[in-house]
Amino acid sequence: MMEMINGLMNTMLSNQVSIPLIEPMLDMLQGIPMMGYMIALVLWKPFFAIVICPGLTVGGVSLLFFPWIERKLCARIQWRVGPHEIVWWLGGVIQILADTLRFLFQEVIVHKDAHKRYFLQFPFLTFIAFLLPLLFIPAGNIVAIKTPYGLQIVLLLLCLFPLFVMGLGWASNSRFAYIGTVREAFVYFAEEVPFIIAALAMIILYKTSDLTLMASEQCIPGIILNPIAALTFFIAAAMATSRMPFEIAESDQELCAGPHVEYSGIAFGLIYVLCYEKGYIISGLMTVLFLGGGAGPAIPYLGDLSGAFWFILKTYFVMTTLFVLRTIYPRYRLDQGLKIGWSPMLIMALIALAVSLVEVAVI
Amino acid sequence: MSGMKKVVAPEYNLSDKIKTHAYAIGTAMEESVYPHTATVLYPREKKKMPDNFRGYILFDPDKCISCFNCSFVCPANAIRMKEAPNNRYYPTIDYGKCIFCHFCIDSCSGGALRTTKIHDVAYKDVDEMFTSTEEMIEPPEIIREDKKSVEYVIDETDLHLKRKKERDGLFVEAVPPVEIPMVSQCVDRGSCLACKICERVCESGAASSVVEEATMTVKMAIDAEKCTGCGLCVKECSMQILRLVRVRK
Repeated sequence: MMEMINGLMNTMLSNQVSIPLIEPMLDMLQGIPMMGYMIALVLWKPFFAIVICPGLTVGGVSLLFFPWIERKLCARIQWRVGPHEIVWWLGGVIQILADTLRFLFQEVIVHKDAHKRYFLQFPFLTFIAFLLPLLFIPAGNIVAIKTPYGLQIVLLLLCLFPLFVMGLGWASNSRFAYIGTVREAFVYFAEEVPFIIAALAMIILYKTSDLTLMASEQCIPGIILNPIAALTFFIAAAMATSRMPFEIAESDQELCAGPHVEYSGIAFGLIYVLCYEKGYIISGLMTVLFLGGGAGPAIPYLGDLSGAFWFILKTYFVMTTLFVLRTIYPRYRLDQGLKIGWSPMLIMALIALAVSLVEVAVI
Repeated sequence: MSGMKKVVAPEYNLSDKIKTHAYAIGTAMEESVYPHTATVLYPREKKKMPDNFRGYILFDPDKCISCFNCSFVCPANAIRMKEAPNNRYYPTIDYGKCIFCHFCIDSCSGGALRTTKIHDVAYKDVDEMFTSTEEMIEPPEIIREDKKSVEYVIDETDLHLKRKKERDGLFVEAVPPVEIPMVSQCVDRGSCLACKICERVCESGAASSVVEEATMTVKMAIDAEKCTGCGLCVKECSMQILRLVRVRK
């Protein structure tokens, strides 16, 4: 038994996140019995990646504050005020927390025609499925699962998203949800092909699909090396997260939220943050592929967290840009959205692929 | 239908498209850094109202001459005259009916009614909206949360908000009414019945009865010095022989 624990401890201690800033505090905590094991577990890189950064903690904080940031920023641009009344001297910063509490205590109504079991299971299943790609996205050099096929696995898991959204719509068994689901399927095919080709262009350019290597070996960020791939990827990301110009599946005005029209209570709360979660993951992927991941001036006090800090900063920047699109563009019709996906974006993705090939051949 | 033209969407080439996209994105970035806003955060700041704002109506019984003009002119029939303990008639307003046209204030010859900038009075029910004369003398209870006043300024391009760290005063000095000096005058003394209604109705004691020696009849006489020109006797005269005329200087 002790040998097993010691072996585990050695594995964990050999792969620790070093943060010089909190080292004195950790030394103090080592005096408490059993605390050494706890600290070793939390600072073990895979565990740290899942639980703290870029996993649950940072993801949760972004889910809690990004809806607020989006609403506030869009309101600023559109001459409005945005969330204001809750803690008004801080500009309504805990609005989403308040909403979440309200959703928690609200009744989840399951209507007569719904497939009851799937209707209740799908929001939670979807939430879990949407968290999976975070296992493979590196923040600096902190990553949960390091594999040479990281990008392919992340793309594969991203492809799962629309399936779950369609599941939501199917379980709802209502006409609005049905129309929204069909639209989601259409938009998914239009967006996914250029999305994958743009990612493929980056694999060719970096000659690897290990996300950690891709991030660390970018001396020139990918957005300068292949701007067309970056633009295609960005537009496809906007389509995939159903942001405003492509908010076709869940158009509020005609489908009143599309696949999740029937949900209420905490189930709706979970679905509401799904698109932010998706935004967080795709922005993280875009940061790794095109903005150099955790590259940036090293901050000595933060140690390993320095890379994670730059990664999160860039991810938030990409997320903000994605969300601000809502204020700039009106929504496209379904046919316009599909036309954009299948013709200009596909052509752009192919050009990006050609650019990558030419660059690899020249260099 | 041959004369009709088909409406065609304007065609943009690629450079036009890029230009318009860049313009839209630039505007969004500019607004996110230096935002304009069109919202007044109401309980904490109030919009600055003009002095002739049509709001809650206040009443001053000392200036009222009980001429009923406000009640006659009210298009919504919100003003009713009620008899006061001193045998005079004062207006009451039903705010459930009032449309805030302020014709009553414009028609008030004594300047007894005046406007305020109060526009946010809360009532518990519809019956409470009937405001008696006593309630009209004093303004309603006011709790002020505002610390700033906001003004809309329209410059060449856009509308802006101008905030000032001062409270806007709610009460406006009543503009003294433009007095057109009028007096009551009998136009047909021969028809006078000497019913003495004018004498009873007159507030200032201008109408009085005079015995004419020659015909041994009683006729009414109106003292132009004392007459205020309120027109009550003109309304009440049973023979309708009284007229309001302008004073000639």
